[in-house]
Amino acid sequence: MQQVTLTVNGREVTAEIDERTLLLEFVREVAGFTGAHNGCLEARCGCCAIEVDGEITKSCNVLAVQVDGAEVTTVEGLAPQRLAPVEHVTTQSLAGMYAPLEAVRTRAEDLHPLQEAFHRCHALQCGFCTPGMLMVLKGHLEENPEPTRDGVRHAIAGNLCRCTGYQHIVDAAMEAAEVMRGDAPVPADG
Amino acid sequence: MRAFTWLEPGTTTDAVALLREHAPGARLIAGGQSLLLAMKDRTAGPTHLVSLAGVEGLAGVRTADDGSLVVGAATTYTALTRLDATALGGWHGVLGAVAGDLADRPVRNRGTVGGSLCTGDPRYDVPVLAAGVDATLRITGAGGDREVPATGFAQGPGLVALRPDEVLTALVLPPRPRWDAVAFEKFRHRVFDAAIVSVTCALRAGADGVAEARLTVGGATPAPTPVPGAAARLVGPLPDPDAVAAAADAAAEEVLPGGATAGEAVRYRHELVRTLVRRAVTRAAADLRRS
Ligand SMILES: Cc1cc2nc3c(=O)[nH]c(=O)nc-3n(C[C@H](O)[C@H](O)[C@H](O)COP(=O)(O)OP(=O)(O)OC[C@H]3O[C@@H](n4cnc5c(N)ncnc54)[C@H](O)[C@@H]3O)c2cc1C
Ligand code: FES
Ligand code: FES
Repeated sequence: MQQVTLTVNGREVTAEIDERTLLLEFVREVAGFTGAHNGCLEARCGCCAIEVDGEITKSCNVLAVQVDGAEVTTVEGLAPQRLAPVEHVTTQSLAGMYAPLEAVRTRAEDLHPLQEAFHRCHALQCGFCTPGMLMVLKGHLEENPEPTRDGVRHAIAGNLCRCTGYQHIVDAAMEAAEVMRGDAPVPADG
Repeated sequence: MRAFTWLEPGTTTDAVALLREHAPGARLIAGGQSLLLAMKDRTAGPTHLVSLAGVEGLAGVRTADDGSLVVGAATTYTALTRLDATALGGWHGVLGAVAGDLADRPVRNRGTVGGSLCTGDPRYDVPVLAAGVDATLRITGAGGDREVPATGFAQGPGLVALRPDEVLTALVLPPRPRWDAVAFEKFRHRVFDAAIVSVTCALRAGADGVAEARLTVGGATPAPTPVPGAAARLVGPLPDPDAVAAAADAAAEEVLPGGATAGEAVRYRHELVRTLVRRAVTRAAADLRRS
């Protein structure tokens, strides 16, 4: 067993863990943030992508002990909409965990421009790939404020989506980039 | 995944000592991008993992007094892509370009040059570039320090010429005057896939054309393979398209003799070698013409 401390979305979490614990498992099962998903566990699908000290990482292909002491941001860290951490997924009511969507959307700053744009452009269907898509695209747009559609497609080359056909995801990234650059007003109603 | 003990040395000397102490089950881990895949499917089951993350002086790039480029084994792909033309000048910049055009950003943020070289996977890019520019590898172990050519270091899938208690400390690219143009080409189905075949072409200019040429092919054989016969055809006046095509045909025949009439899988690679050698030589020759 090994003691590991991570700051997940601003909350410090210390635990004695089995050395084999993947960062993805730490974030989901120890810290309780279930936004990052396990889609393949072999660094292929991107559903588990999160930031580690500001660098995008596939959390299924990193041991928690490798990043002891790091600051981690998961999709939950993108917007302050979650009210309370998940204690027990099946018994806790969703109402206590999230602000109602209508309430969140009355204040545009509650959603990251990418989340707004995903919603607007219909860039998700089942949503399983979305947390990883958002996190990878966030990094890409921060480094490339003037992205090209081709560049966006390259950026998500390691993120698989079985539903959307990617077209709307690229649309959303391009729209979000405008908002992030300050070229477009934040849409009032989405 | 099988259980293991986690160890975090601060120096290469300590890392080597830990590898010896916990032989034969101990393994080094750098970014873990290849090793963890193997551990998850239990094709690797180390008893001890010796992390290189905290080892002093193993990450980073510097130009030595003689002009060679010393790339620390624990340098990540992303770190290489962040270097500007002062740090990676001339053809040394090809290393940055190769590092920026493989896998995806999350993998590049953690994967290291040393991990790529020491995995011995014939599809990986850096070993083909390293062998292709005649780089050397710095290795330290219980038996002392040694330097070996990058060519011949990989000996087949999963096999490299490293003793169990040795650490690769650096990839050393020769000084810039060694070559005047270097081109790397690879073929993959999708951007995220590993290369099926890759080729490095390095040319040194002479008074009236090419004084020295080096061609190295990866992916077609179990380890990066130099093709000196085909490369020798490039020496002389700058090759015209016919000469490039002839050298490409010769390279394919040298790597995969009889490949043009072999079974589908070999024939496909034979064809890829021809195409990629043609592209790499054409690009390198155009660079020479410009310089
Ligand atoms: C999804 C995915 C896609 C990929 N696509 C590509 C691609 O297109 N092209 C490509 O070239 N590569 C590709 N790779 C491979 C990638 O380049 C390697 O996984 C990475 O470089 C390995 O580095 P690492 O630091 O993570 O090594 P680790 O996984 O930590 O180690 C790999 C091996 O090297 C040994 N080792 C590591 N460092 C040293 C050292 N300094 N001295 C001695 N031994 C050492 C370890 O013991 C282990 O056996 C891909 C990987 C993934 C996961
Ligand atoms: S779960 Fe990590 S990439 Fe698929
Ligand atoms: S929306 Fe279903 S996998 Fe992408």
